[in-house]
Amino acid sequence: MTNEMQMTLEAPSIYQPIMLSILEITPMTDLEKVFKIGLPHPMSQDHKPGQFMQISVLGVGEAPISISSSPSRSKNSFEICVRRVGALTNALHALSPGDVVGVRGPFGRGFPIERFRGKDILFAPGGLGLAPLRSVINEVLDDRSNYGRIIILYGARQPKEMLFRDELQEWATREDVELHLTVDEADEKWKGNVGVITTLFSKIQVSPRNTVAITCGPPVMYRFVLMELLGMGIPEGNIWLSLERRMKCGVGKCGHCQMDHIYVCQDGPAFSYAEIRHLEEAL
Amino acid sequence: MTAKILPKHAMQGWIETLREHYRIIGPKPAQSQYVFGDIHSADDLDLSYPTSILPPKKVLLPQREDLFRFDSMGDTPIVEPTFDDEPTVILGIHACDMHSIALLDRVFEKGTTDQHYQTRRENTTLVSLECTTSCSEFSFCKSMGTLSVPENFDLHMTDLGDEYLLEIGSKKGENLLRGFNEVREATDADFERLNKVMSEKWSHFTYRLDFDVTELPALLSLSYDSKVWEELGDRCLACGACNIVCPTCYCFDVRDEVDFSLRSGGRFRVWDSCQLDRFAIVAGGHDFRDTRAARQRHRFFRKGKYLTDQYGVVGCVGCGRCAQACLVHISPVDTFNELHRRRVPSAAAQEEALA
Amino acid sequence: MSSTKPKIAFFDFAGCEGCQLTVLDALQTHTELLNAVEIVQFREAMSRSDDDYQIALIEGSYTRPSDEVRLQEIRDQAQIVVALGACAHLGGVNAVRNAHRLEEIKNYVYGEKAEVYEAASARPISDFIQVDAFIPGCPIDREEFVRAVKSLLQGNAPDIPDYPVCVECKLRETGCVFLYGKTCLGPITRAGCGAICPSFGVGCEGCRGLIPNPNMASLREVLSENGLDEMSVKAKMSLFLTNQIATSDMEA
Repeated sequence: MTNEMQMTLEAPSIYQPIMLSILEITPMTDLEKVFKIGLPHPMSQDHKPGQFMQISVLGVGEAPISISSSPSRSKNSFEICVRRVGALTNALHALSPGDVVGVRGPFGRGFPIERFRGKDILFAPGGLGLAPLRSVINEVLDDRSNYGRIIILYGARQPKEMLFRDELQEWATREDVELHLTVDEADEKWKGNVGVITTLFSKIQVSPRNTVAITCGPPVMYRFVLMELLGMGIPEGNIWLSLERRMKCGVGKCGHCQMDHIYVCQDGPAFSYAEIRHLEEAL
Repeated sequence: MTAKILPKHAMQGWIETLREHYRIIGPKPAQSQYVFGDIHSADDLDLSYPTSILPPKKVLLPQREDLFRFDSMGDTPIVEPTFDDEPTVILGIHACDMHSIALLDRVFEKGTTDQHYQTRRENTTLVSLECTTSCSEFSFCKSMGTLSVPENFDLHMTDLGDEYLLEIGSKKGENLLRGFNEVREATDADFERLNKVMSEKWSHFTYRLDFDVTELPALLSLSYDSKVWEELGDRCLACGACNIVCPTCYCFDVRDEVDFSLRSGGRFRVWDSCQLDRFAIVAGGHDFRDTRAARQRHRFFRKGKYLTDQYGVVGCVGCGRCAQACLVHISPVDTFNELHRRRVPSAAAQEEALA
Repeated sequence: MSSTKPKIAFFDFAGCEGCQLTVLDALQTHTELLNAVEIVQFREAMSRSDDDYQIALIEGSYTRPSDEVRLQEIRDQAQIVVALGACAHLGGVNAVRNAHRLEEIKNYVYGEKAEVYEAASARPISDFIQVDAFIPGCPIDREEFVRAVKSLLQGNAPDIPDYPVCVECKLRETGCVFLYGKTCLGPITRAGCGAICPSFGVGCEGCRGLIPNPNMASLREVLSENGLDEMSVKAKMSLFLTNQIATSDMEA
């Protein structure tokens, strides 16, 4: 697996982040903010949606965070969507535009979207799983004519926890995107579907052999979504997911992301279900 | 073969000469065991050591190692990576540990080179020592094919009684003898003595594995769902000792530290252990290897299969340190044998099947 | 973090104040601490007593009903409450008494005055108020205390190890005390002390509390294999771990 470290290739240490400025911070929900981070030069052509960065705040720590902007829109910047869950993410949330963060990457193997051309694409993100999939969705939408139907099924716990609501609005109004939303718990304003994400599958018909499904969400969601996708007859090699692990190095050494013999940081984080279904430690 | 003869009484002189240019690390007694530590004189060094608590791996990949220092006091943060390039000689490395260093070299140089390891490695000279007797009741190097020293030594010592025969493996090794006059060229008579030691040593080691080590990866492939892992998981204390003392473990955690300004400090790595409860936990709280049984399986698959598949060398060098450190008597050789026993139908069962 | 220094107050409940002494030690070796925070209450070291504080560090365990009121007052004032040391964190050695009937203990200790004194079973302070962080140990480790204060200043909970003492013992190449015929709770006890007791040849007594998911059954077997009878195992496990074992052993 090639390891694209174009930004830190020249650094004397592979663990040394380059310090980049935050251009914009957009609050998404109570827990999530989107950070737009400036790049000194455009990201390489090899950058694939689905890759991740090692993001750090000096003195607090470093963690892998998936890139949520698409390569098509990340010429001199990239975006990450950060949920506040621990020391590092708390520290990120306390930053302001103009502050700097440490960046290493991009790392890993993203989604091989060139292989998806001509096919219908079914996106099924749950919760924060929309962050990495937004990268693919926008990449595909920016090259719309090369793909068939675009179906997006997105589930969140509550309406106020939905991410990227401006884009959801935009996708909802597009004729060439089929968007279906659901929440586990509705509030008084919610008019849409209520229930877990799998309740949306009955709303769509797909031609399974010509469909690529891409899903990302918490581990418990995968089992049910995979059942639905396989039940629709989508081949295992056409079902793609992104796996979460706590990479410490990003370069296949620290051992934290290993599942069986696979290093998620290098061989993934994007995998087809066919590649991982036999791995007990994958899901 | 180029070889030299070093009389044992000249050891002190050699160490003094080396100390002018190198930091010297070697086996020395500590409490009732041995550790690799700084050698200031020949009296510190005990080359008859059985085994050490930690392997000499710790010289190349220290338990705690700074990766970079930073200072954010000014407008632009300054990040300065730290490398240790102090010329170092490690004396008296056993064959098993030499094999483990060969593996670590591949791990840290393959794909993306780890410059911190590389810098240390380039500035370290390895002086190995021929193993002539079994070092501990726990070791099983002969079974793992790691009893003969691999070719990564710079200098290799064999004890010939009152002298050491020194085989020169590299320019780095040769440099250790430069300007030191108390060594002489080895003669045919010396090589005869060497051959005698080499031919006699093998009988002092026993085969402890019930099958050939080349079958190990395949045996593990067949044993993923073995009950053995549950049984080990029931006993395992998840204390991490096996990983910490292992010469081929290299997993690490990365942490930050700050001074009271909160604006300057450093990032460092520390050894980690896949047997610990939260090794595979992610930010959302899900633990992808949350049972001791799965963690034990992961450990033995890494040693017996994954590393072999990935790097082409055996991942367990048979040093026996983990077995010695384990309070609940989990040992790789016993585990591999048990897996083998359960895969091979017993004679009685075979007869029954034939009847 | 605002430019004004956070105000810190120390409080003591039932304990020996050894943890506060360790804090005093830390202030002497890390004088920068005094530039980073403002100490407004510290009976061990100063007479000033100011109730305007953000961070409360509580030493000692709950041992009597009236403690609850005082704990609650501290909780109401402080933004962050830290349990300092084994007594506050676990109930400490005080909890040895929990194994006996309270009346018996009171009579034994106070004799005919038993009725005059209030007493209850010794509990960790987290049984009564929400605790945001803990710094374990009997006493606390000086370096860990310093790191913990830095984390608090950064707005984070201190990063207290959740792996066992064995890891630190091996990292510093201390010979295992089991090899010398001693017994040790290191395999189930939270590290962070630098394995100080084993480094002096003494087995770990568990003062930093249990790691998450300890294998109690297996450790009992190890202790018994190494010559501890059932009574001695029980005694060893109740010196610091009374309040933790009561719950986790039932699960084991």
